[in-house]
Amino acid sequence: MQEAELHDLSDDADYAASQQQGSSSTMRTDSIKRSSSNEPDGAEIVYSKDNVAIHPTQFVSERISGRLKLIKQGSSLFMTWLPYKEQNSNAKQIEKAYVDRNLYTIKAVPFTEVRSIRRHAPPLGWQYVIIVLSSGLAFPPFYFYNGGVRQFLATIKQHVFLVRSAEDASVFLVNDFENPLQRTFSSLELPRLVSVASGPSTPISVGESPLKENQERINGYESSSISQYNGRQRQKVHDPTRDISIQVLEKFSLVTKFARETTSQLFRDGHSNGFGTFEKMFDSQPAQDDLHKASNNAEKVTDEIPVASDPLEFDKLSLVWGKPRQPPLGSEEWATFLDNEGRVMDSEALRKRIFYGGVEHGLRREVWGLLLGYYAYDSTYAEREYLRTIKSQKCILAFLLNYDFSISPEQARRFTKFRERKGLIDKDVVRTDRALTFYDGDDNPNVNLLRDTLLTYSFYNFDLGYCQGMSDLMSPILFVMRDESESFWCFVQLMERLGPNFNRDQSGMHSQLFALSKLAELLDSPLHNYFKQNDCLNYFFCFRWLLIQFKREFEYEETMRLWEVLWTHYLSEHLHLYVCVAVLKRYRRKIMGEQMDFDTLLKFINELSGHIKLDAILRDAEALCICAGENGAANIPPGTPPSLPIDSGLFYSQQEDEVL
Amino acid sequence: MSYAYLFKYIIIGDTGVGKSCLLLQFTDKRFQPVHDLTIGVEFGARMITIDNKPIKLQIWDTAGQESFRSITRSYYRGAAGALLVYDITRRETFNHLASWLEDARQHANANMTIMLIGNKCDLAHRRAVSTEEGEQFAKEHGLIFMEASAKTAQNVEEAFIKTAATIYKKIQDGVFDVSNESYGIKVGYGGIPGPSGGRDGASSQAGGCCS
Ligand SMILES: Nc1nc2c(ncn2[C@@H]2O[C@H](COP(=O)(O)OP(=O)(O)OP(=O)(O)O)[C@@H](O)[C@H]2O)c(=O)[nH]1
Ligand SMILES: [Mg+2]
Repeated sequence: MQEAELHDLSDDADYAASQQQGSSSTMRTDSIKRSSSNEPDGAEIVYSKDNVAIHPTQFVSERISGRLKLIKQGSSLFMTWLPYKEQNSNAKQIEKAYVDRNLYTIKAVPFTEVRSIRRHAPPLGWQYVIIVLSSGLAFPPFYFYNGGVRQFLATIKQHVFLVRSAEDASVFLVNDFENPLQRTFSSLELPRLVSVASGPSTPISVGESPLKENQERINGYESSSISQYNGRQRQKVHDPTRDISIQVLEKFSLVTKFARETTSQLFRDGHSNGFGTFEKMFDSQPAQDDLHKASNNAEKVTDEIPVASDPLEFDKLSLVWGKPRQPPLGSEEWATFLDNEGRVMDSEALRKRIFYGGVEHGLRREVWGLLLGYYAYDSTYAEREYLRTIKSQKCILAFLLNYDFSISPEQARRFTKFRERKGLIDKDVVRTDRALTFYDGDDNPNVNLLRDTLLTYSFYNFDLGYCQGMSDLMSPILFVMRDESESFWCFVQLMERLGPNFNRDQSGMHSQLFALSKLAELLDSPLHNYFKQNDCLNYFFCFRWLLIQFKREFEYEETMRLWEVLWTHYLSEHLHLYVCVAVLKRYRRKIMGEQMDFDTLLKFINELSGHIKLDAILRDAEALCICAGENGAANIPPGTPPSLPIDSGLFYSQQEDEVL
Repeated sequence: MSYAYLFKYIIIGDTGVGKSCLLLQFTDKRFQPVHDLTIGVEFGARMITIDNKPIKLQIWDTAGQESFRSITRSYYRGAAGALLVYDITRRETFNHLASWLEDARQHANANMTIMLIGNKCDLAHRRAVSTEEGEQFAKEHGLIFMEASAKTAQNVEEAFIKTAATIYKKIQDGVFDVSNESYGIKVGYGGIPGPSGGRDGASSQAGGCCS
C-alpha cells in the first residue's frame, strides 16, 4: 500500500499556508519524538503529524490544518489535535477565526473512549480517517495532507488493541473483543457504568436507570453461563464483571491490557492451525468459516439436483426447482437449535432452516439479531439479554437529540448538514409505511422512533448520512424489534451490508446492476440479448428492487420473510440478484412477446408490485443459484453489496473506498 | 378507453415538493398526505379531452432525491411534457430549478413542453417565493407557469390540461413528427397508425373502435 500522493493542492489556501509555516517540522514528523516541556509529566509523544486538517465546510478557505499527536501516559494512550493559529493580518479576523478554530481543538481524548477508526483512501485526494467515539459521535474527518495514516494506525496498534472489523475492512475497531459481553464492556462508555459488582452474587448495577428485571435475569444466568463459558476454550477468562469493576476503578486504563490477555489467551487455547499471527486469525476466521461452509453446502445440494452443464440449457430443466418451501421456524423447533444456555449449536443448520422457510413472527426479534450479526451465534441468552440492557444504556439517541438543541446559534450554522438531514428525515418518516397500523395516525410514537433511529444513524455514519430508501429498510426492523436501541444496532449491521446502495454517486447500485446484468446474461442470454437490442441493458428497471431489497414489491409480512431468507447468506450472499433474474425469467415470454421497450418494461416491472409470488420465486431463485454454481459467483464482481466481510490477511491492504 | 393521442409526461423537482400528491390529485381527485415517498419512479394515467379528442396522459412521477438523479434521468427520454415543481414555502426548492431544467434539456427532447408549478399555494402564510419570482423564472426560460395546490386541488387540473393543450397545438402546428415516438406522443385511432402502435396495452385493445 502506498500513501496517497499529494494531489492538486493549488487551490488549497490552508495547505499553502501550512507549507510556509514550517516545512521543517513537516519533514520530521514521522519520527518519534520524545516530549520535552509541553507535555504533562510522564507523557510521551509517540506520534506527531503536521498538516492534518479538518474541512468543516465545503469551502476550501475554511479548512483548518493542525497537528495530530498520540500521547502515551502510563498505560493509556491519548490523542490530541490542535489547530494552527491563523496567520492572518486582520486582528479581528484572527480573533474570530481563533475562536472558531478552537471549537475543533481536541484535547487529550483517551482511546478508551474511541470505538473505531474508519480509514478512507479515495483514489483521488487525501487519505483521511474518521474517528468514532463509543458514544456514537464522530469527530470530523481528519485529512492527512502529508500522508501518515498508516503510521498513525500502526502506532495506535502498538499501544491499544486494534483490529480490523470483520464486517468492513476499512474500519479498525479499538478494544473490540470477540465475545459480545466483552465487546459491550469496552465499546460502551464505561463512565455510565456507575458501579459494577465484583462477584457473581452481587447484582450488576448498570447505570442509574431501573432495570431490575433485566438485572435479575442476568444474575439468574450469571454463574452458570460464566462457568459454561469458562468450560469452552476460555478457561483463563476471568469473570467479566470483575474485570469491569477493575476497569472502572482504574479509570479504564486496564482495558487494553485486559484485551490483550483475553485475546492471546483465546488463541493459544483455541486455534493453532497454520495461521500466523493472531490478528490474522481474528480478522479472517468468521468470514472464512462462513464462506467455507456455504460453498461446501452448495456442493452438497448441487449433488442432489441435476445440473445443466451449459447454463443456457436451463430452460429445458424448468422442472428443476428449488426444494419445497417449509413452514416458518416455530418456537419448539427453534429451541432444538439452542443449547441450554441459548447458544446456537449449529449456525449453518439454522441458516439453512431459515433459508427454506423463514421464522415465525414472534421469534424474529431474536433471530434477526443473530442473522444480522448483532448477536453472535454462540452468545448465550444471558449475553444477549445483557447486550440489550447495556446497549440501551448508551442513551446515544437522547444524547444526540439534546446535542441538537443545546448548541449555540454560531455552532448551529456549522451544522447545516445535520439540519438538512434532519429535515429530510422528518419529511420521509411521515411518508413511510403509514398505512400500516404500527405507523398510522397522527403523533404516532413509532414514527418518532423511526425518525430518531435514522437520525442517530446519520450521525453514527456521518459520511453516509441519510439517504432515501433507508426509512424503508428501517421500518420493518423497528416493527420487529420494537426497541429504539436494538433497532438502531440491527440497522447498523444491515447497513454494513447494504450501505453502498446509498452512496451519493450510486456506485453501490451501479455495481449491483452490473452484477445483475452479468447473471442474467449467464442464466438467460436470450432475454439479456433482448434487453441489449432494446436499449434496456442498464437494468434500471430493477433499481427499486435492489435499493430496498424488494420492500415495495411485497406485502409487509412477505418482505420480512424474504429478508430473513436473504440474510441467511445461505447458498449465496447475493441471492437477491438471483431473485431478480427469477422474476425476469418468469415474465420473459410476456416481455419479449410484447416487444416491450424501456418505458413499457419499466412500467410493467413497477406494476408487478404485489403480484409476485414469493415462495415460487424463491424456489426459482434457489434453482438458478444452484444452476449457476461457481459461474454465478464468478460473474458477481467482488465487493458487490451486500458482501460478506472480506478476508484480508494483510492489515493494510488498499481498500476501495466504499463510503462516499 | 381509446385515445387519439397518448402523451408521456414526467414530473420532476426536489424531494418533498409534492410531485406525487399532484399526480394523485390529478388522477384520483384526492389529497392523501400519508403515502410513501417515491423510490425510482411511479406511474399514473388519465384521459382528458382536448378539441373533442380523447387524449391519454401517461405520467411518470420521479423521485426527487439528488443522488437518484443519475438513474431518474434515464426516464426523461421521450417525454412530451414535463411538470417542473417547486414548493413555494421552501426557497431552496426554487433555487434548484435551474439545475432541474438543465437536466431536462439535456436528457429529454428539445421540443418538450415544460410547465413550472409553484406547489403548496394553500400555505400562503409560509410563502418563501413570490408569485412574481415564479413568473419571472418561467418567462426567462420559456416555461408555462402556474401556482397550484395538491391539497386544495387549485390549478391542478388546469396545469396538466394546459400542458396537454400546448403539446396538442404543437402537433397541429406540425412541430412534431408524431410517428416518431421519441417525442413522447403516440397516435391512437384516427391518427397515423404508428409502426409500434400495438405496444401500449390500451391502444392495442382499443385499436379502431371509437369512444
Ligand atoms: N399543504 C400542502 N402540503 C402538500 C401539498 N402537496 C404535498 N404536500 C405535502 O408535502 C409532502 C411531500 O409530498 P410528496 O407528494 O410526497 O412529495 P414528492 O415531491 O413526491 O417527493 P419525493 O417522492 O420524495 O420526490 C407530503 O407530506 C404532503 O402531505 C400541498 O399542495 N399543500
Ligand atoms: Mg413522490
